[in-house]
Amino acid sequence: MLSAIGTHGPTVSPPVLLLLHATLFFIAVWLLVKPQRDGNTWLWPLFLIVAIASISRIAMSFIPNVMPVTILAVLVGSKFGAQRGFAFAVLVTLASNAVLGHGWWSLFQIVGWGAVALVASQISVHDGNGNLSMTQLAFSALWSVPIFSLIVSLSIIDSSMSALEFGLYVVNGLLFDALHFLGNLFFAMWFGQWFDRLLQMNQPNSELIQQESEHVSTF
Amino acid sequence: MRVPSILLILILCVPLAQATTETTWTHEFDAGYITTKPLIIDDTVYVRTSGFWTGSEDRPVVTAFDVHTGEERWTYVSQTSLQHDMAPLLFVEAGTGDCGDWQDLLIVGWVDGKVTAHSPHDGSILWENQTSVELFGITGQMAQEEDRIIVATRTGVASFCLANGVQLLEVDTGNVGWRNGVSITEKGYVIGDESGYLHTIARNGTVSTTYLGEGKIRHAPIDTRHGLFVHMQTSTGSSMYLNGSLIGHAGGSPAMPLMHEGRIYASTSEAWISLLCDAQTCSIESTVPFRSNGELNVRISGSSIEVWAPSNTLDGGWGVFNQTSLIRMEHTSFDTYGTAAPGFSEGILALGNDAGILQVTHQESSSEEGSSEGSSLIQTIHYFAILGLFLLLCRSFSVFDWSQMMKIGSAFFLVLAIAVVPELSVKLAEKTTPVNEIEWDASWPNEWKQTQVIVFEIDGEERVIGGLEPQDTVYELTMLACKELGIQTQVEQQYLGAYMVAFNESAGDGWEFTIDGKRSPVGMSEAQLGETSIVEWRPV
Repeated sequence: MLSAIGTHGPTVSPPVLLLLHATLFFIAVWLLVKPQRDGNTWLWPLFLIVAIASISRIAMSFIPNVMPVTILAVLVGSKFGAQRGFAFAVLVTLASNAVLGHGWWSLFQIVGWGAVALVASQISVHDGNGNLSMTQLAFSALWSVPIFSLIVSLSIIDSSMSALEFGLYVVNGLLFDALHFLGNLFFAMWFGQWFDRLLQMNQPNSELIQQESEHVSTF
Repeated sequence: MRVPSILLILILCVPLAQATTETTWTHEFDAGYITTKPLIIDDTVYVRTSGFWTGSEDRPVVTAFDVHTGEERWTYVSQTSLQHDMAPLLFVEAGTGDCGDWQDLLIVGWVDGKVTAHSPHDGSILWENQTSVELFGITGQMAQEEDRIIVATRTGVASFCLANGVQLLEVDTGNVGWRNGVSITEKGYVIGDESGYLHTIARNGTVSTTYLGEGKIRHAPIDTRHGLFVHMQTSTGSSMYLNGSLIGHAGGSPAMPLMHEGRIYASTSEAWISLLCDAQTCSIESTVPFRSNGELNVRISGSSIEVWAPSNTLDGGWGVFNQTSLIRMEHTSFDTYGTAAPGFSEGILALGNDAGILQVTHQESSSEEGSSEGSSLIQTIHYFAILGLFLLLCRSFSVFDWSQMMKIGSAFFLVLAIAVVPELSVKLAEKTTPVNEIEWDASWPNEWKQTQVIVFEIDGEERVIGGLEPQDTVYELTMLACKELGIQTQVEQQYLGAYMVAFNESAGDGWEFTIDGKRSPVGMSEAQLGETSIVEWRPV
């Protein structure tokens, strides 16, 4: 199944990779169709957000660790819950890595963004009325980084790697984690409200009007 | 704030947007063909026309254009050259020697036997001299040797002082030549002729001649480490000789071959040919059906190369090859027969053919390589973005607009971090990564001491070579060593430069190199080597 072991973890043979992708895709579909809440207001906004996250991740791939995916995982997790958040993580990773490159790390990226969505579903960045809290979102730009970064870093561990080597690897990545945080903060501050409005696009008008009247846009 | 948002995104996308910028201008000459490659020096492109001039009006010209705008700077018209002028233009940088000092010169050899040295700035003739004529005069490639210009004449070789044009040497071999370019070797000056003879003229004027076979040598012989390479036109096609020995046959009307990094590129009416020179000999590695009978040229972009060959057919165009195969065809709106190679400069391509039209294209920065000008532009925009955001941040602070401060501040610190993190990260990695000292291995031959040595660890097997000709970069040494050791390489051009994908089709999780045990902060194309560097390639 695994054709080689290296610093980036096992190299997966093509047939196994195909099987893995198919499995992950069906998991994402199952997570999407599995009943969770009443109504279907989440479906199209979620697909739209997946498309935005994937395209922007590919387009910004020339800047290491700067992409809106993490902050979107926070918003999706907070708005639609961990289950949809995990589906979001699977779909974005499969779509964007189709261009950027699949591998062992794809699994860890899915788990990483899924974990961010899971935590966001618990410490919501929306208040009781469903309004976005910019303070909470800014804070999420910070806490989401170590969660994602540490999980993705686990992908390099193999039997030959000592704890010291892993520690050095993590230390070497701290600067890029800082870049990740600043990228998250940037997307939160500049696009957070817009992303949030997209997530609400299928909500009944009465709810939107009520939220708009309470909402203070910074744009 | 929507407008600033869009602007900010546009700034971040500048590297993508500028990747495809391209501008083109053309100039149609009144008469004649372009049969030699345009020469691009700094911001000027020089081109000459050729033809068979029977009337009293049209004559061959050498013209200089502004490479950016196409504005004509000067034109020199020869009133005495009436046959096809086939000698490529030669630019000589200013210098000093035993003859005296000379300024930048554009040297032109004419079919009427004249050699004229022009000021590149205004085309004025600084000196001229005359070589022997036997129906034709100069038709081959000239060469510079220190303070003199070496000219292949119709029947031999002449040399002239660059400072004043005084003739220093004239040798008559007794045989006539055509497009008989001259090569400079350790032994002297080498030319071929129309009778299959190869003449080596020592610097004191003595001539030694080798008969290769019945045929015509119509190019400057190529000096390889295995001896001289000649692609000779014969009555039935062409023959290739290396150090006097026949190494292969090919189609008719051979083009003028050229050598680049251990490979010789040739062409005929039937095929484009790539020969690989290894430790033992040079031999044909690949052929591609193609018709090219004139000049070839190599375009170097970072660590990748393109070999351009004009298609000498009615449909015309230029074939663009990598080391072994055709990558694509390039076309213009005036395609027709052609024998002139393209002229290249950084981001500039100059094309001319038998239609007598010159086309110059600027590629600001192609997707395959980032030019230094492009990088510099990105850096400048980046710095302005940092400065602008800092000023906006200060303004937000001064009016206590906290919401704006958060937005502007996040953008400012992000743009700042993008500028500094990659370099800081390399420094941090150097501090925290244990240095894997590579020591001299006692099993290596003593001859390798004081030379560059390169080690490959492929599929658990270590292969090592040293004693090679010193190379400037890791890329160059790697390519040379792989050729010597018979290791196949697969290199990709990526955003950050050349990337080694695989050795012997072994890609694994990537490859990394060290120089004297240390990781390099730059890619293999930029990583500089010392004379005794030890490079090690190992899987990630």
